[in-house]
Amino acid sequence: MGEVLFFVAGIGAVAGAIGVVALRNPFYSVLALVSHLLCLAALFLLLRAEFVAAAQVVVYAGAVMVLYVFVVAYIGGQDEPLGPRAGRGLKVISVLFGVALFIELSIATLGSGLQLVDSPGAAVAASFGSPAEIGTLLLTKYLLVFELASFLLLIAVVGAVVLARRRGGLSAAEEQERYSAMDILRSSYTGTMAEAVGGPHSLPKKAGAAESAPADDPAPADDPAPAPADDPTPTTEPAPAGEPTSADDPATPEDQR
Amino acid sequence: MSGGVLAVVGYTEPWYIQILKSVVLFAIAVQIVPVVLLAERKLLGRFQHRYGPNRVGPFGMAQPLADIVKLATKEPFRPSTSIGFLYALAPVISLLTALAAFAIIPFGDVANIFGQDVGLYGLDVGIGVLYVFAFGAIAFYGLMLGGWASGSKYSFLGSMRAAAQLISYEVAMGLSLVGVLMMAGTLSLTEIVAAQEGLWYAVPQFVGFAIFVIAAFAETNRVPFDLPEADAELVAGYNTEYGGSRFAAFFFAEYVNIIVVSGIAVTIFLGGWQLPFIDPPGWVDPFVVLGKIFAFVFLFVWIRATLPRLRYDQLMSFGWKVLLPLATLNALVTAVLVVAL
Repeated sequence: MGEVLFFVAGIGAVAGAIGVVALRNPFYSVLALVSHLLCLAALFLLLRAEFVAAAQVVVYAGAVMVLYVFVVAYIGGQDEPLGPRAGRGLKVISVLFGVALFIELSIATLGSGLQLVDSPGAAVAASFGSPAEIGTLLLTKYLLVFELASFLLLIAVVGAVVLARRRGGLSAAEEQERYSAMDILRSSYTGTMAEAVGGPHSLPKKAGAAESAPADDPAPADDPAPAPADDPTPTTEPAPAGEPTSADDPATPEDQR
Repeated sequence: MSGGVLAVVGYTEPWYIQILKSVVLFAIAVQIVPVVLLAERKLLGRFQHRYGPNRVGPFGMAQPLADIVKLATKEPFRPSTSIGFLYALAPVISLLTALAAFAIIPFGDVANIFGQDVGLYGLDVGIGVLYVFAFGAIAFYGLMLGGWASGSKYSFLGSMRAAAQLISYEVAMGLSLVGVLMMAGTLSLTEIVAAQEGLWYAVPQFVGFAIFVIAAFAETNRVPFDLPEADAELVAGYNTEYGGSRFAAFFFAEYVNIIVVSGIAVTIFLGGWQLPFIDPPGWVDPFVVLGKIFAFVFLFVWIRATLPRLRYDQLMSFGWKVLLPLATLNALVTAVLVVAL
């Protein structure tokens, strides 16, 4: 049973990995990566690492890849294949690296792994791979590594916010002029869809723009931007917040896109 | 299960018991859904001052059967813009993950049936609720692929909303459980139930419970968070282009998800099979759990009849600006109290 599952998951993982690089449609590539990650989770489960398997599915397949699918489905449609094929030099280098990696793995596998396929494997404690065990290890033996990794994630988050604000985010002055007496009198979230793109305090400004916009220029009425703009996840929140800056100024409604 | 390589996840029964349990659990899941379906339509009718279905069978009780026969005998079709295999795969993923998650709900402790110890649950894994979240994560692909592969704008927008909503509320949902997990000191659902002897976690963890219930509505795409299938804007959202038995599969999965979420809430916050003040014999346990699940499903219907749908930005800001900080704070306070007391 275990052997069958191992080979099913192993073949699935390899096939998924090949699919990621071989498929020309980005959406299918992402799906191949998802199936690859799920097969890896199955392999973790076979190694008695149930917590790692669950984390693999929840974090990678459930969160990271969801964002990939999200973005690819939005902007990289099926009609747009991945960019032009790599140049000659890149091809040679990639093949060299691939061969080197294959040889390295072959040495490791032939040296040890294949003999162990038939054996029951090393004895492990019953608590091996349990959440409690992993938590203890992370907070004692690997505390430094754990903290460094979390710091790295924090840097990534801050970097994402900084980058998003730099690209058309609100300037401090713009953000300030949004407040008026109306905002204080009106309870939040009682406005219209206009709030969606500008946050709770932007209604008076935005409502004026929405009323005047069709009168000035009928084109923005079927402007598709606001609809997708409120759909992306809040991870990209600063980006939708940038929309009102273009909508507020009727003179240049389309320039910034 | 030949033992050996497979991870030990509480497997104590022989293989035939496990197969039998799987079949029984599947049968239970299949039987509950029509009941919930009928209960919802009847109750919704009463909430709206009408009778609800009352033509098929006595008191309209055969209505779900008629619905199922109608859907199953419809001609399978797909839009010419759809992508064949993904279009067919999506409902399968939804159904599979919903039923798999159902397996973890404990309906009782280990019982002795004909001289054989049987745990009244599909499986009792050491990772507990993470199992549910793992399958919830995969379930997203059912919605997403269904919407994307349909090749229709409404489906696509619906699946996009589903994606954003599921990610947003999954975080709050997971964090709302952390308090309970810290108090119980275990992830195993049966042990969490056992730890609630005397006091259900809904009392000390009332903040976590409230957050969990709200997030559960969002995770199951129910009113007032049914943006992915907002019928006023998106026809039917991600399943717009589905019909016949494929639509039935989506529909079925949705209701199994409601039952699973109710079951998790009952298990983690409402004491599972335990009753206050009385300690009934073991064979009552599954009925206690089922009764609590139905009470929870009633709440789902009640809310559906009461609240209007949220706007999309309200949904998002509520999830990220209210629920998530609150859940984090709850986890923090619980951690401090657990260590201090």
